[in-house]
Amino acid sequence: MSLSYEEKLALLKINSFSYLRADWLERLLGIFGSAQEILKQNAAALSEEGKISLQTAEHFLKAASALYAEREMERTQKTGGGIVFKGHEGYPEVLLDIKEPPLALYIRGKLGENAATVAMVGTRKITPYGKRAAARLAEDLALSGITLVSGLARGVDSIVHSAAVKNCKPTWALIGTGIGRIYPPENRELALGILDKGGAIISELPYDAPPLAAHFPRRNRLIAGLSKLVVVVEGEEKSGALITAKMALEQGLDVLAVPGPIDSPQSCGTNRLIREGAAMVMDARDIIDALPVNLKAALDTDKLYAATDKPAKLIDLNEQETKIMAAIGDGSKSVDNIALETGFDIAGLSGLLFNMEINNIIYCKDGLYARNKF
Amino acid sequence: MLANIASGCIKGIEGFIVSVEVDTSPAIPVFALVGLPEAEVKEAKDRVLAAVRNSGYEPPAKRITVNLVPAEIKKSGTHFDLPIALGILAATGQLSETAVKKLKDIIFIGELGLDGRVHSCAGVLPMLISLKKLGRENAVIPVGNIGEAALAGAAGFAAHNLREVVDMLEGKIPFESAAQPAAAPAEEVKINGDFNEVKGQMLAKRALEIAAAGGHNVLLMGPPGTGKSMLAKRFAGILPPLTREEMLDIMQIYSVCSLLGKSKTAFSRPFRDPHHTISNIALIGGGTTPKPGEVSLAHNGILFLDEFAEFSRSSLEVLREPLETFKVTISRAKDSLTFPAKFTLIAAMNPCPCGYHGSNVKPCHCTPLQIQRYKAKVSGPLLDRIDLTVNLNPVHYKDWQQRSEGETSAQIRARVVKARAAQKERFANSPTTANAFMTVAEIKKYCPLPDGGGEILEAAMKKLGLSARSLDKILKTARTIADLAGSAEIKKEHITEVMQYRPLDRKGVSDI
Repeated sequence: MSLSYEEKLALLKINSFSYLRADWLERLLGIFGSAQEILKQNAAALSEEGKISLQTAEHFLKAASALYAEREMERTQKTGGGIVFKGHEGYPEVLLDIKEPPLALYIRGKLGENAATVAMVGTRKITPYGKRAAARLAEDLALSGITLVSGLARGVDSIVHSAAVKNCKPTWALIGTGIGRIYPPENRELALGILDKGGAIISELPYDAPPLAAHFPRRNRLIAGLSKLVVVVEGEEKSGALITAKMALEQGLDVLAVPGPIDSPQSCGTNRLIREGAAMVMDARDIIDALPVNLKAALDTDKLYAATDKPAKLIDLNEQETKIMAAIGDGSKSVDNIALETGFDIAGLSGLLFNMEINNIIYCKDGLYARNKF
Repeated sequence: MLANIASGCIKGIEGFIVSVEVDTSPAIPVFALVGLPEAEVKEAKDRVLAAVRNSGYEPPAKRITVNLVPAEIKKSGTHFDLPIALGILAATGQLSETAVKKLKDIIFIGELGLDGRVHSCAGVLPMLISLKKLGRENAVIPVGNIGEAALAGAAGFAAHNLREVVDMLEGKIPFESAAQPAAAPAEEVKINGDFNEVKGQMLAKRALEIAAAGGHNVLLMGPPGTGKSMLAKRFAGILPPLTREEMLDIMQIYSVCSLLGKSKTAFSRPFRDPHHTISNIALIGGGTTPKPGEVSLAHNGILFLDEFAEFSRSSLEVLREPLETFKVTISRAKDSLTFPAKFTLIAAMNPCPCGYHGSNVKPCHCTPLQIQRYKAKVSGPLLDRIDLTVNLNPVHYKDWQQRSEGETSAQIRARVVKARAAQKERFANSPTTANAFMTVAEIKKYCPLPDGGGEILEAAMKKLGLSARSLDKILKTARTIADLAGSAEIKKEHITEVMQYRPLDRKGVSDI
């Protein structure tokens, strides 16, 4: 049974309210049979049948009528995307199993047939260690044929998406705004990259919904819902990444966590997950091994296994460079501190650092040097 | 009767001769002052009449007309009092024949008090220097400005009061130059502190050394409390000593602004640090009677702009002209004038609006977009004039403790002087004075790439996203580093070192 255009519009109107916790709308749909029918009712009738307060019903009708559903359709189509409706063509079936599946999904790009999906999420305040870990794992997973699912936020999410984009692999971004509005703005270019490489940007929110705080935890259930398992790279004690992990557990998915230093606030949440029983991730193989056997078979793991069997990529460092690497250690260091620890003079050290930087051994941000992902 | 007295006036920092014509005619007593006088010149009439009376002479009960020739140029300054007073005395026959004759080859400059005393006034030095060039060496100047006459090398009679001037003209006192022209200006040893007082920040110190050696502009970027202002204030101490010409240039500007202390003959490199709320006019110069702004007051010295990103966009915009042409041209409908403004710019800014981005002392509360906007404020054409950028990081107590005493300013300065000497030789036949000011042709001539240097630049452009327009700056700075190292050629390591000072050129390698 396909939906009529009018019913689609009515569903979008209802969806514009239901993305906020409103399970009573499901109930109403069951009672009245169609979205169009619901919108024909007055507030009092909705309040009585749906067992909600009159105020909520009025609020709902007002919000639903305020949405220009036709324009939503047009604008989404203009971006080359489309809107899929719950239980109808194109709607990812896995989402039907989660709690409160969205009534409609706005999709920009292609939601391919990939069965092997892994969510990688983490803190927005990423540390140099988290950057290395996320980039390294994400790259391996993307290359082996896994579709990475994340939230296009700052920090870990951005690293994960860009690792896939850099390797020309599709990745899905479930965003906490409308698909017409990329947030944070510095990720606009990344979003275009995702679309360009055959990925998708997905949201249940109206076309240009703003980045409200309430939107983000809700979309986390979709990140978990679309994935086979969830990997948390870095996360504080109370973070969105841990909400995603919680939702994944509720949905019966495996949650894996990347361990970190015990004194780093960003690793507090992940270390706790491990203590509570989450599988620990040391390389991409740990993640792939956690996937169901039938999915594993389709992956191109030859290269990956070969690559990760070695402890780390070996680089020839000369004596001075070894000293510098030792001084930089795991965190990030200023030129002054490196000079102090190695005893090199500033003029010579500047040149050495530059050479190491263009050889990809280290990188520099805001005057602080840190190891690259090797 | 008619009298004609010579005086001078300032336009910008150039002096010109003004003849003060005074005519008295039997009519209703009126004092008319014409020849485009500004307000302070117009007030001369009241001061002069009182001064004449109180010096024991008779102010005429006649119509007095004073004309300042050339009449089409606006005149400002209080120094017309003395010539007007003498003109009145001459026109009313209160001076002897000899005195009137003597008047002709002397320039008179001075403000009068009501009691007839001669007060010091602004702009004496540039006036005397310009007038000397025009062949007028003898001048009567206020005793308070005697030091300036010495600097200008002019024969100046230092006047205490009107009576004394008249006595000199009558021959009762000889016209003797009170100024000692031998007194060459000595550089004042005004130490704002020594470099070894700044603990750590070795990278920033090295950058400042390079800046001093090659005349490059610097941007210091770092959280509060990392020593940005401390370093900037000590920068003058590592610049090479002022030459006599440089010092005269500085003093002329300060003289116009009445900032030259009494009989001050010594001067150190100016250090100007205007607040970021400064108006455009105060920064660059101008006003109804155009006066030099902060950029000109920093001529041959340092302009330190703290909180660089907080300056208004238009203030930063007007800085572009002096940074490119080393002068400021103020254009008016009638004419335009030029102030010199060749300074080393030291700009300091926080890395983000809250100040703590990249600091491990306090968390930063700014969003990446805010940080990007903050940095974008100083980007573009202005950043193109800044050769060296340094990120400063906080010094921890532990590190602070183990830091050894750094080098003193004198040690650094010795190297700077050596590097400057090499540049003087290089640019002997060119108006260029330092590496930072090299023209494109000169860069081509004096900054050949060493073997393998091209590969470094290519790698830098590819890897770090350096723009092509930063290449010239890299070469100029590398030239200075080579000069500091006493190397005739630019070597590979000089180029790689420069890369350290171009963090803003980098386009996120692992930047998310």
